[in-house]
Amino acid sequence: MSILHIKDLHLGFKTLTGHVDVLHGIDLDIAAGEKVALVGESGSGKSVTARIVLGLLQETRTARISGTVQFDGQDINAMSARDRAGLRGTEMSMIFQDPTSALNPMFTIGNQFTEVLRRRDPKLSKAASHARATTLLDEVAIPDPARVLGAYPFQLSGGMNQRVMIAMALANTPKLLLADEPGTALDVSVQAQTLTLIRDLVEQNGTSVLFISHNLGVVREFADRVYVIYRGNIVEDGPTDALFANPQHAYTRALMSAVPRITGAGLPEVPEVSDDFLAPRISHGGAL
Amino acid sequence: MIRTLRILAANPLSLLGLILVCLITLAAIFAPWIAPFPTHNGAVVDFLNNNRAPSARNWMGTDLVGRDIFSRILFAYQISLTLGVVVLAIAVPIGTMIGLLAGYIGGWLEMILMRIVDVFLSIPPLVLAIAMMGVLEPTLTNAMLAVTAMWWPWYARLVYSIARGEREEGYVLAAEVIGAGAGHIAFREILPNCLPAIITKMTLDMGFVIIIASSLSFLGLGVQPPTADLGSMVAEGARYLPDSWWLTVFPGLAILVAVFGFNLLGDGLRDVLGVDE
Amino acid sequence: MSGILRLLLNRLGISLIVLVGVSMLIFAIARIIPGDPARIALGPNANAEQIASLRAEMHLDASLPVQYGHFVADVLRGDLGMSLYTNRPVTQDIAQFLPATLELVFLAGFIMVAFGLPLGILAARHRGRWQDHLVRVIALLTVSAPGFVWAVILMLLFAFYLPLFPIAGRISDIYDIERTTGFLTIDTLLVGNWAAFGSAVHHLILPAIALSLSGIGQAARLTRANMVETYEKPYIEMAQAYGFFPSRIARSYAFKPSLIPSLTIIGLDFAAMLGNAFLVEAVFAWPGLSRYGVAVILRKDLNAIMGTVLIIAITFLIVNIIVDLMIAFLNPRIRYSTRGAS
Repeated sequence: MSILHIKDLHLGFKTLTGHVDVLHGIDLDIAAGEKVALVGESGSGKSVTARIVLGLLQETRTARISGTVQFDGQDINAMSARDRAGLRGTEMSMIFQDPTSALNPMFTIGNQFTEVLRRRDPKLSKAASHARATTLLDEVAIPDPARVLGAYPFQLSGGMNQRVMIAMALANTPKLLLADEPGTALDVSVQAQTLTLIRDLVEQNGTSVLFISHNLGVVREFADRVYVIYRGNIVEDGPTDALFANPQHAYTRALMSAVPRITGAGLPEVPEVSDDFLAPRISHGGAL
Repeated sequence: MIRTLRILAANPLSLLGLILVCLITLAAIFAPWIAPFPTHNGAVVDFLNNNRAPSARNWMGTDLVGRDIFSRILFAYQISLTLGVVVLAIAVPIGTMIGLLAGYIGGWLEMILMRIVDVFLSIPPLVLAIAMMGVLEPTLTNAMLAVTAMWWPWYARLVYSIARGEREEGYVLAAEVIGAGAGHIAFREILPNCLPAIITKMTLDMGFVIIIASSLSFLGLGVQPPTADLGSMVAEGARYLPDSWWLTVFPGLAILVAVFGFNLLGDGLRDVLGVDE
Repeated sequence: MSGILRLLLNRLGISLIVLVGVSMLIFAIARIIPGDPARIALGPNANAEQIASLRAEMHLDASLPVQYGHFVADVLRGDLGMSLYTNRPVTQDIAQFLPATLELVFLAGFIMVAFGLPLGILAARHRGRWQDHLVRVIALLTVSAPGFVWAVILMLLFAFYLPLFPIAGRISDIYDIERTTGFLTIDTLLVGNWAAFGSAVHHLILPAIALSLSGIGQAARLTRANMVETYEKPYIEMAQAYGFFPSRIARSYAFKPSLIPSLTIIGLDFAAMLGNAFLVEAVFAWPGLSRYGVAVILRKDLNAIMGTVLIIAITFLIVNIIVDLMIAFLNPRIRYSTRGAS
């Protein structure tokens, strides 16, 4: 059974001057334990898709959302705001692009960890949460967990904060992890370590992942299956090997030729816009 | 300009502010013609009609010597708005110049000017104005002087903080590289970037100047009787509460309405011009 | 902790420089007086001998820098001169009247924070919705009238029409409380007289509300503005992505980081109440420093005017130092920095 099933998802925003359409009918599926990447340039609609899955955009009054988003068999769009919030931090969680700015500067790591753990177990004592957080930080290979728990985010390095965030995201053993360009704000070697760490942990826990990236090189290392998104449409999808071996869509090819082979930060620059980019979707199969 | 006005008018609160400000300005300008009792601005006595509650003849009642309170409020608006315009017309250019000098030139000039500004800002504005009025004769001119003296530092600080930020911006460096003079950079490059903040603050400050000026005359340190002034009208009437409530309530509300108008307009401008609070 | 100590020393140093400037400013204001201060002080009936002797006493025949030197030397000795109005040392007058004003200002400051911050939090949490618009109108209304207008309106409504509060004074006449601190709420407790304490609080409430109203509006607007900015930060989205309750995010995750930039201005608003107290005290016949200040100003009592302004400026500076220290304690970046605050 699929953990995430998105069918014909549309998103538009009401603006001062009228209406802007951002997603034009997205279909996307993630099976249990599967690592799926959604690849595209900034502004292609990949980040808003993640925020719809989390149920965050549904709270924005200017957003108009239609279509089906089923998480673990439940329709997210049909739920009450309260029920959606109930899933966040427990059944699904998210890793952000810049770990240092995504952690609150006014609270210690320990305090923020306790908040996260109490999402699953509201009555968790301070001492118990501290013990559990220590174990979790140990799992992400943080050398001195006690010191880190007492520290503020600005006292830790970016790589250290990244590990903390990964530990937080997986602390409540969610069914689905959303990763929005994890580590892009960090340098290349740290980014590579981050990805390895995430992969090991999700494989160990059987967590499904929706991995959002603009970087095909990174995606190739990480994902089982890939969706390529261009201007709010999925243009090509399929198992990673099949798609990389034989890219069919003009946009996918342009994206690949623009990407350096090694992992790296920075946006790929697709040289020029072609009408072929708007050609219909090509699927290599492989989804449930 | 037209665009700004159109966006402003789209927000009901800003529109209300714009309407209030226009109405009050017109009322002040045309007070001698629209006031039901145009002579009541001065030392007129009508003991047959003194201390009357609001009626069809006197919409806001009459004061202790029989003058029409509504007429006096219209004339008092003249004084308040004149004072506000004069104070800002002097204080804003002075403060802006000092802020620009300190913010753009920097160095020891920045150090000295901003310490002077700090000195002025470290006494509550009203206290400074009260102290100055304490040694000066209470007249309209001196009240303007006292309020101006406490007002310029706020503009100096505002312009200073923006100018200091702009100094590091690329376009200022670019202008310096191509050899633009300091005066050109300060007035043609940096000043235009300060204008939205200055205009917004001036609109809001019209309200605050009215508050400070009425506060001075409330304490007997501003415009002297028999000239109508909102602050002194409230002060005179306060002794006759609660029976002759109209003596204080209407002049008090007149202050509230005028300042509220300027605040609504200024708040709307801040949103439209994108000025930080 | 050395960060805090460094900050304290730094702020004390700056305050000292500012204080020197303030003393010069006050001295300058006192010297712009048209005519002879001695003659003005003594009134129209004084003879030439009396004027000459007072001129000598006030060092008026010396040059301005020398006069300023005498002024500073006197102030440093704690001598603010004699009040020509009360015929007592100015310091004694201030000691008598300052506590009443501070008592009023402290309560008003507390009310400002207790109502202004929650209103700002409410508006920021529901930004763009009706709660936000309502708070905006309330805030703009409260800042749109000087304290004396609010004092008159509150007095009319809640002392005359609905006689819930007393009309004037600090405490009911039936109590005779021994002055220890000058703060009646403290003195009544020191002698254990609960009824008198109740009366003192009862008298405080209405003037304090009148004094706090414009501050409530300022604090609410400021808190909202800074929080709306904070709501754009990634860590708020992270808190939302983890399903934390919106009310908890508002009160804690979004409020705490935005409090730091708000505090400085709230400190200034608090200090501005020292000035606005002049207006509220006049309406409620509150026997504080402000009423004394107005009385001496109307009589051109130079020593008393200079003393009063100086004390208010010093109080203002102390409040600002306290606010800076509070910011340092609240901000972990400053608290844990070993290099001191930047």
